Amino acid sequence: MKRIVSIIILSTLFWTGCENREGTPGITDTEILIGNIQDLSGPIKELGLLIPAGSNMYLDYINEQGGVHGRQIKMLVEDHQYNPQKSVVAAKKLIEKDQVFCLYNVVGTSPAEALRPILEESGVPLIAPATMSSSMADMSRQAAQYIFHTDAGYDLQTRVIIDYILENNPDAVIGLCYQDDDYGANALQGCAEAESNHSISVQKEAFQRGATDFVGQTMNFMKGGCTDVIIGGIVREPVTIMKTAQAMNYKPNFYGLMPTVDPRVGLLAGEVGEGFIAPYHAYYPDSDESGPTLYRELCDKNNVPAKMRGIYHYYGFATAHVLVEGLRRAGKFPTRERLIKGLETLNNWESGVFPPITYSRNDHTGVESLYLLQLQGGKQIAITDWRN
Amino acid sequence: MKSRYQDENLKWIPILIIAIYLFPFLIKNATFSYKYYLYILNMAGIYIILTVGLDLLSGFTGLMSLGHAAFLAIGAYTSAILVDQVGLPFELSLIITPLIVGIFGFLIGFPALRIEGMYLGLTTMGFGFIVKRLIIALREWTGGSAGLQVSKASFFGISIKNDWDNYFLIYTFVILAVIIARRIVQSKLGRAFMAIRDSEQAAQASGINLAKYKMLSFFISGLFAGFAGVLFAHTNHFISTDHFDILLSIFFIVMVLVGGIGSIYGAVLGTLFIVLMENLFIPMFEESMAQIIHLKAGEFQVFIFGLIMLLFIIFQPQGLYGMWLKMRIYWKLFPFNPRKRFT
Amino acid sequence: MSELLTGLLQESISGIALGCIYALIALGFTLIYKATEVVNFAQGEVMMVGAYVNFFFVTQFSGMAGGLNGWVFLAALFCSIIFAVFFGIILDYIINRPLKDEPVFSIIMATISLAIILRSLTAMIAGPISLVPISPFGDSTIQAGGIVISVLDLAIIISAIILMGLFFFFFNNTRWGIAMKATSEDSEAAQLMGIPVKQVYRMVWVFAAIVGIISGVLLAPRMALLDTTMSYLGLKAFPAAILGGFGSIPGAVVGGVILGIIETVSMGTLSFHFAWIKEINDIIVWIVLIAVLMIRPDGLFGIAKVKRV
Repeated sequence: MKRIVSIIILSTLFWTGCENREGTPGITDTEILIGNIQDLSGPIKELGLLIPAGSNMYLDYINEQGGVHGRQIKMLVEDHQYNPQKSVVAAKKLIEKDQVFCLYNVVGTSPAEALRPILEESGVPLIAPATMSSSMADMSRQAAQYIFHTDAGYDLQTRVIIDYILENNPDAVIGLCYQDDDYGANALQGCAEAESNHSISVQKEAFQRGATDFVGQTMNFMKGGCTDVIIGGIVREPVTIMKTAQAMNYKPNFYGLMPTVDPRVGLLAGEVGEGFIAPYHAYYPDSDESGPTLYRELCDKNNVPAKMRGIYHYYGFATAHVLVEGLRRAGKFPTRERLIKGLETLNNWESGVFPPITYSRNDHTGVESLYLLQLQGGKQIAITDWRN
Repeated sequence: MKSRYQDENLKWIPILIIAIYLFPFLIKNATFSYKYYLYILNMAGIYIILTVGLDLLSGFTGLMSLGHAAFLAIGAYTSAILVDQVGLPFELSLIITPLIVGIFGFLIGFPALRIEGMYLGLTTMGFGFIVKRLIIALREWTGGSAGLQVSKASFFGISIKNDWDNYFLIYTFVILAVIIARRIVQSKLGRAFMAIRDSEQAAQASGINLAKYKMLSFFISGLFAGFAGVLFAHTNHFISTDHFDILLSIFFIVMVLVGGIGSIYGAVLGTLFIVLMENLFIPMFEESMAQIIHLKAGEFQVFIFGLIMLLFIIFQPQGLYGMWLKMRIYWKLFPFNPRKRFT
Repeated sequence: MSELLTGLLQESISGIALGCIYALIALGFTLIYKATEVVNFAQGEVMMVGAYVNFFFVTQFSGMAGGLNGWVFLAALFCSIIFAVFFGIILDYIINRPLKDEPVFSIIMATISLAIILRSLTAMIAGPISLVPISPFGDSTIQAGGIVISVLDLAIIISAIILMGLFFFFFNNTRWGIAMKATSEDSEAAQLMGIPVKQVYRMVWVFAAIVGIISGVLLAPRMALLDTTMSYLGLKAFPAAILGGFGSIPGAVVGGVILGIIETVSMGTLSFHFAWIKEINDIIVWIVLIAVLMIRPDGLFGIAKVKRV
């Protein structure tokens, strides 16, 4: 018995037949395979539905026009449930098993950061990670040359808002309510920068991701005498804080970081949210630029239901522009290096959705300016021009 | 009966060990995406080391722990800090980190002396939350919620760079862990644990010092978990608190349960089953189902997982190892199987 | 000084409301434990299902009635409770039939897997987009001497008190209630005495389902968005149930309220004065729990079980 088993083992050792991989993974004559990792069943699964839907809408549009250099773009979506470990597993599956050409739009800071060792090891680029943490564009970190960021970081947003507040009211007492994780950590960085620039001190209150009760934080801002409060949350946090403050008869000016530009904040807050200001780093989906116009056309053409249209759907749509442009510039015979080099040739490139984007060997930041939107009568109106 | 099977066991073990070491070569020749499968096996291996320790605690001593992911987290972060910030060599961290986690095991074992059953389970769950929060609070060392990059391991001069090397490192330790655990189970320590599980009063009446053995049980499971934590940190190169949550602790208990409580081989089988199921079988199942029913990917996976867990609890309470034993006895007794025994 | 006191009082009231929600969930746990010695890890998910189902009914009825009014909410609540009865029967069927002879550990793991199944099933049926809950009381608040309390919170507190009173009365003064207590002490002896144990179990699961669904209905408007992460609140109610002592109904409510107050006050006044408390806000309940358990291993109101060898 033992002999038979050992013969079997030895013969399988001698069995050659290692499959040979010719050419670049993910590229065939007719197709380019892209890998996307979203949160499909975890705390932000909503985004997992909306963002890839937006990307696919634009990719379908491009494919209808013949694709990029004659190749159709196909996107595979994996689930990481906002767990960095699962994100690594999903990335390995996409890279090793499905052999994708590049990764795109991985959502969440820690799931994206967890991928750095893999990006380094396999040389796979990551285009437009779906997180606004500026650590993605930090060139001193591992594998930074493979990552191309398209979002204006939370630190930039915080700094711009504080600058704006102090411009209009040099005596403002500012408070920052931040989420106690990487989102908040990045916002705090910007806050610290603004604090040293203006020699002021900002009152900071933290909350845990997913908290529902903000009585304590709101009371503390009130006790601190804050005239302007910046909320680093998503949708639930600003609405709850504004309502709580209203109930306490506390009426400071409220601002939020970019995720709060979601129109649902206005919808849910109602009249309490009047005057709420949030920044945005792309042309607004309702405006008249070429990108938003195309967005509305495609939404109507594809019968996208109204509740799906919004900034997350638009986000997928917008970042897909950068991906496609990169693929175009990679040429007729794309390789991963050519994709990276191609993106680095972007110089004040007008996408129609973002302000002019410039990438270079040492700068993968993408968008570096914002403008501010204010809720007036339930609609969001731009109140400033692009600023940084 | 025991001695007959004992002999048979020993003969298979060297072959099994050789097979484990040869496995990567087999896979490499079989498919070009072998690195992915190796990665999954590596994860399973790390979890096996932990669940073996957990089985000793919950399965053999009967002390339910719903917070074992916390021990894994402590081990991972401790090793990351010791190696990257304090400058300890990896080999030393392999020894010191488990000891530190074992001490944490002692700490949580202390309430266990007075608290029992369900209350203990919830206390360990609370411990899990507290540890996770503390790791975030100590952000200068641990990187807080943003996570921590961890360096690669280097074992006595050999640098462990990729999944291929990881596999050999991890599975060497898996084999060691299983052997050590089996030894413990078959020793006086193991018998004391089982006595405590079956009836604390009777154990005490037989002269077993409850406090000493309960604390020891926590300490040992902490050792195993800490060891798994070191390997986890240095083969994944990135750790963050998002991963070590209550769901992971529940996963570990499920692995022990599905494999069969009170059996070391069961813990191994259960862990392999759950990890492979989650990463390989369910996606394959989903791909074939996607043609028939159009379902949202992520939720369906979780649903199937919960369903399988429930089905196992209802229909196979002895777990996979129990199934294996039944099959083996069936085979041995064939064709004289008494009908009633195997329905 | 009086500002400090007003602040504390305001936070306490908000904490009581939060605590009553924990108390309602803990009540569900306690009911099941009291009768069957099983800890139902799926109580948070039952609450979440209740919130979703109620939302569904509200939107249906308001569509039929052409608008929102008091009757819509009452009708939705009524239908949700009927759903709860059926839901409880189904849950009892799944958990208790196949597992009647298994050790408690297995049944608890079964409830954990049930929790996972419920959560993913709800997400699959309702879709991943978060829903916007509608509060029957709008945003109206009552002001009393510098303290603001929302009508919704008031409703929560009142419901908790009413339910606690009802169940307390039930368990101590009615035949079925005493039968349940008897079954939890020794189910075999209860059977011998003629108590229909299976029906008792079913009833208790139905009660727990009703309580869970009511707490879901009440909690949903308090959260700006409704999605499946609501079920994690169920985990937080555990310390409440244990603090009061598993198996004690007033204990569950008292435990819940204490924890709610501790949580809100620590988030507010304590964090303001002691910055380090900010770090442990969300785990302060667990720390308190472990501390209490070390001193009184059966909780504040729990009765130490006599161990028979």
